[in-house]
Amino acid sequence: MPEAFISLEEVTRSYSRGGETVHALDRVDLEIPKATFTALMGPSGSGKSTMLNLLGGLDRANAGRVMVDGDDLSLLGNAELARYRADNVGFVFQGFNLLPVLTALQNVELPLLLAPLSRAERRKHALYALELVGLSDRVHHRPSQLSGGQEQRVAIARALATDPKLILADEPTGDLDRNTADAVLDLLVRLNEEFDKTIVMVTHDARAAERAQRTVHLDKGELERIEENRPAGKLSTEEKKPDGAKEDDGAKAEPATTAATDAGGED
Amino acid sequence: MPWILLVKNIAAHPFRTFLTIGSLIVAVFLLCFLKTALVSLQAGVNSSASNRLIVQSAVSLFVDLPLNYQTKIEGIDGVDEVCKFQWFGGLYRDQMQFAQFGIDADRFLSAYPEVNVIAGDAKDLEARRTACIIGTKMADAFGFQVGDTIPIQGTIFTRPENEPWVFDVVAIYESTSPNVDENTMFFRWDYLDETLEAGSAYGPRGVGVYVIKLATGADGTAVARTVDERFANDSQRVQTTTEAEFQRQFVSMLGSVPTFLSSIGGGVLFAIFLAVLNTMLMAGRERTRDLGVLKALGFGNAVAFTLLILESLLICTIGGALGVGLAKLTEAPLGSGLRMILPTYVIGSETAIFGMGLALGIGVVAGLAPAWRAAGLKPVDALRSEA
Repeated sequence: MPEAFISLEEVTRSYSRGGETVHALDRVDLEIPKATFTALMGPSGSGKSTMLNLLGGLDRANAGRVMVDGDDLSLLGNAELARYRADNVGFVFQGFNLLPVLTALQNVELPLLLAPLSRAERRKHALYALELVGLSDRVHHRPSQLSGGQEQRVAIARALATDPKLILADEPTGDLDRNTADAVLDLLVRLNEEFDKTIVMVTHDARAAERAQRTVHLDKGELERIEENRPAGKLSTEEKKPDGAKEDDGAKAEPATTAATDAGGED
Repeated sequence: MPWILLVKNIAAHPFRTFLTIGSLIVAVFLLCFLKTALVSLQAGVNSSASNRLIVQSAVSLFVDLPLNYQTKIEGIDGVDEVCKFQWFGGLYRDQMQFAQFGIDADRFLSAYPEVNVIAGDAKDLEARRTACIIGTKMADAFGFQVGDTIPIQGTIFTRPENEPWVFDVVAIYESTSPNVDENTMFFRWDYLDETLEAGSAYGPRGVGVYVIKLATGADGTAVARTVDERFANDSQRVQTTTEAEFQRQFVSMLGSVPTFLSSIGGGVLFAIFLAVLNTMLMAGRERTRDLGVLKALGFGNAVAFTLLILESLLICTIGGALGVGLAKLTEAPLGSGLRMILPTYVIGSETAIFGMGLALGIGVVAGLAPAWRAAGLKPVDALRSEA
């Protein structure tokens, strides 16, 4: 087993809801090696998104340790967590979460404002990230002028822009049709394989999870099992791409229809 | 700091921004107007000369004083000079367009050194019975020049068959102090008195007030007391006050008008504060998810706070600047239209700073609540927001 890039030790995250304590994560232990692509699966309320939020420093554990690349996130203050996110994490959300008032280029440049770069350098990095996701011809379009697939690719470009070690994707294909979802997954696989990004992706879609090297199954806040889909390393995206799937930036807001493991909704 | 978001967010809802800025413009304009009105009402009080006393009837300002009092007052220690003042109250073009006073031609200018003749010759005031001198504002408003005649319809002092009084403009003055209104005409009191005496006009003979110019080093309070005591048992008791106190009477005659104006100003201020606060709270709530995204990207709480407070400040700065600009732009027409009520309607730098200060203050206070909320948002909660 390679050295763990991410390590969760006895991690508990609980909420008080209507006077009751709900354990979103209950003493979970998990290790994720560097430069791997891991899918988190489980029914609603299983703790997938909670785990992703803890890894991204968006939320804090009540107990246990969340270690990412040697940083114990539970010891970091708010400002340090913000810095951690800026330096180490790229987020890809189900609803894309692009800022509607900014163009694609400006959205991608946004996280670069926190890096010690000149305006020209920021522009260069952002354009490169957009080129990587195949959107060089849409840089000056606003989110409302893009299709769902294009919006998600802009979001991925934004996640890549600062060259983070870790990319956290929360249902990145949840709002996309099958073909567009496949194109987005191809992109994530490529980022993992070609650029050695450690990717953790929450998904309800078993087909999407298959594109990861392993799938971590959660249920009721506990780690249920870990499935190895394929060994870490280079793998042709074509090999895993479903028959007939091709990139198509089709209509947005059309959720993937296959292999959802539960009734939907977020954790 | 994502400065671009500041501008883009404001521009994202142009109609709402336009309405908010528009209401700020109106409010700041109104506040500048009210402030200027209050300053103008107080101008006479604040700029009064300390070396002048006013002697009026102890009964009422509207009761005239006997003519022989002038000589008696001049005999009191500490009095340098005494000048008569008589309110004429005539109409020009059927309206009270400017004030008119009968004065002693040989004493007025020495009693009022702040009055400087800038056109014509002051000596002509003594030389010609029907002479008058007028202020620059009055000259500008009606196009009067030296050599013109001004027909005034008497209301207190009427002429047979309602004929107008005719005065000859011999000089135009400007005043270095707001206590002498430049929208005023001063003419010879003796012309009025002689006309009344000759039966060529009807009206009360007397003097409205006597203005005392104190001798150098004289104690105004002591002189005032002496004057009042001197006439305590005479035909008409008098009340002697400083010029500032005399001016204050006119402000107090307005009753609660200054308080009323201040209350309107306070109401306007509060209403606009609520409007901006509402706009900013809406903006803050609408951007909850965007703020969550910014925080997820690594921007700190301070950035979220700053974005909201600066947005509020930017809106209020634009509204405030345009409001002050509008007040300045309308200064001339409003000053002209209100010259009888507010003789010194000038939007000064103090008022402009006051207007901008209020706008910025509203910006800060109205921006605080949404900015505070933005800073305190947990990224994970903000990202879940439906807004």
